[in-house]
Amino acid sequence: MNRTITNTFIKIVSFVIAFTCSLLIIAVFLFILRESLPIWQMTNPLAFISGREWSPVFEPIQFGIAPMLASTLWVAFGALIIAVPIALSCAIFLAEYAPDWLARLLRPVLNIITGIPSVVYGFLGAAVLVKFFEVRFQVASGESLFAASIVLAFMVVPYIVVNSESALRAVPEEFKLSALATGVSKPYVTMKVVVPMAKRGMLGSIALAFGRAAGETMAVLMIAGNVLRFPESWFSRGEPLSALIALELGSAAPHSSHYQGLFAAGLVLIAVVTIINISINYLVKRNELVKY
Amino acid sequence: MNKLFDSFLITIFWGSGLILLAGLIAIIAYLFIQGGSALSLDFLRLPPAGSPLGKEGGVLPAIKGTLYLIGIALAVTSIPAFLTAIYLSEYAQPSPLLNTMEVLIQSMAGVPSIITGLFVYALCVVQLGWGISLLAGGVALSIMIFPVIVVSMRDSLRAVDRDYRLTGAALGVSPAYMLRRIILPQSWRAIIGSILLAMGYAAGATAPIMVTAAAISAPASGNLFDPVMALPYHLYLLFNEHISLDNAYATALLLVIMLLILNSVALALTGTGNMKKRR
Repeated sequence: MNRTITNTFIKIVSFVIAFTCSLLIIAVFLFILRESLPIWQMTNPLAFISGREWSPVFEPIQFGIAPMLASTLWVAFGALIIAVPIALSCAIFLAEYAPDWLARLLRPVLNIITGIPSVVYGFLGAAVLVKFFEVRFQVASGESLFAASIVLAFMVVPYIVVNSESALRAVPEEFKLSALATGVSKPYVTMKVVVPMAKRGMLGSIALAFGRAAGETMAVLMIAGNVLRFPESWFSRGEPLSALIALELGSAAPHSSHYQGLFAAGLVLIAVVTIINISINYLVKRNELVKY
Repeated sequence: MNKLFDSFLITIFWGSGLILLAGLIAIIAYLFIQGGSALSLDFLRLPPAGSPLGKEGGVLPAIKGTLYLIGIALAVTSIPAFLTAIYLSEYAQPSPLLNTMEVLIQSMAGVPSIITGLFVYALCVVQLGWGISLLAGGVALSIMIFPVIVVSMRDSLRAVDRDYRLTGAALGVSPAYMLRRIILPQSWRAIIGSILLAMGYAAGATAPIMVTAAAISAPASGNLFDPVMALPYHLYLLFNEHISLDNAYATALLLVIMLLILNSVALALTGTGNMKKRR
């Protein structure tokens, strides 16, 4: 009897805690929405997103985050362009080709790559990569969205590798064996049988990496150049949304319109990450329907 | 011709794996070469000195501050995270509610850390009036590591052989008894491992504490409502304010060494080096 009570007690307590904690993310979202509400009443969201002037303190007060939004997108998609080919090929290597000892070595390596603090990456990127660009191309400042993308690419590679690898491993062994039995080579089976079947999980891992890259703060803050101009290309300098928030939050008086503007920028950042995630999932689902 | 293409593919697969390995080794080796000489015992033992502050001396208050922050984050988050993991793996029956909870916790892991910082800034620093403080930073870190700990603890609990659960259920043993006598004795190593990995994650996080807790210089009194110094933020300042490149390398090396130690202990505990934990 006593044991049943203990059991029920643990069950109820753990449920209440689990339920409350999983609502935390909704609280975060609502709170940021609430703090930014006056901005949405003042400017319409489209003007906020497409405006090119960010002048939250000095007259004329203007809230436009187009330069920062564009920087975020450049940096994050740029990082994916660099990271995806390497990461997918590494995932295939781990799942299909790597000898056991090497796979056992590489997994902790990936773990450590994700574990190294982003400020260390930012520091190394700024101290080594940016310096290298300055010397090599004889420019006054080597900071650029491109440099930030390179560093971010290295940071997000493990997320793509790990999740793609488990997607590749989930492909049933029989499929591979019967494909091999037809006499084609192993790389052929990998590319024509295994990869297409794991496509969904692989795309999902890319979406995850995009979220990481778009939300990453310290590395882009130290490398991207922090200029509030609209970035004309991948190689110009810029200030992504996350860097904007980190740099200006401390100096914005609470509940001033500057402060509210930063929360609005935070909301846009969440929205971008969420929209990309949902649309990739949607794309993947549609592909799936066509296939089966 | 086809054979040529095949070996080309295989070369690429091998190359990509080795590139990552080489990249990590290069980073760590470079930090040791550049920061090794400045990372002395005095660097660990002394407070920052010189003008501007940090040019000479060490990082003792920053080490203390980082330890306090991790301590608070763990104190706040470890028990709720443990209970959540237990519910998810031991008690929850498959249902739409469970699905929703899992999705919410997964997406919490995807929330950028600066957004967590923004939330804690509005709630704790401004609304509750704590100001830029150790406690606010600890709370920010606890929110950040919560989903990471939950997911890895849940997976460690679920990794216990299914046969034990079936046998237990067949004998009519309650889940609580199963948990205490069978599941936890088999998974505690992995559970400690996930806490260690989360500590490493919290130690290096900069963006959330930059807006909620960090100060350029603070005595590390341990007072909950005072700002603190923290290693990652100190590194950012040393470099960005052009204070001292040598000390910046030493601080970065120190952070990486801490991370390597935590990772190796976690790896030794769990044995396998299963990478799913970091999701």
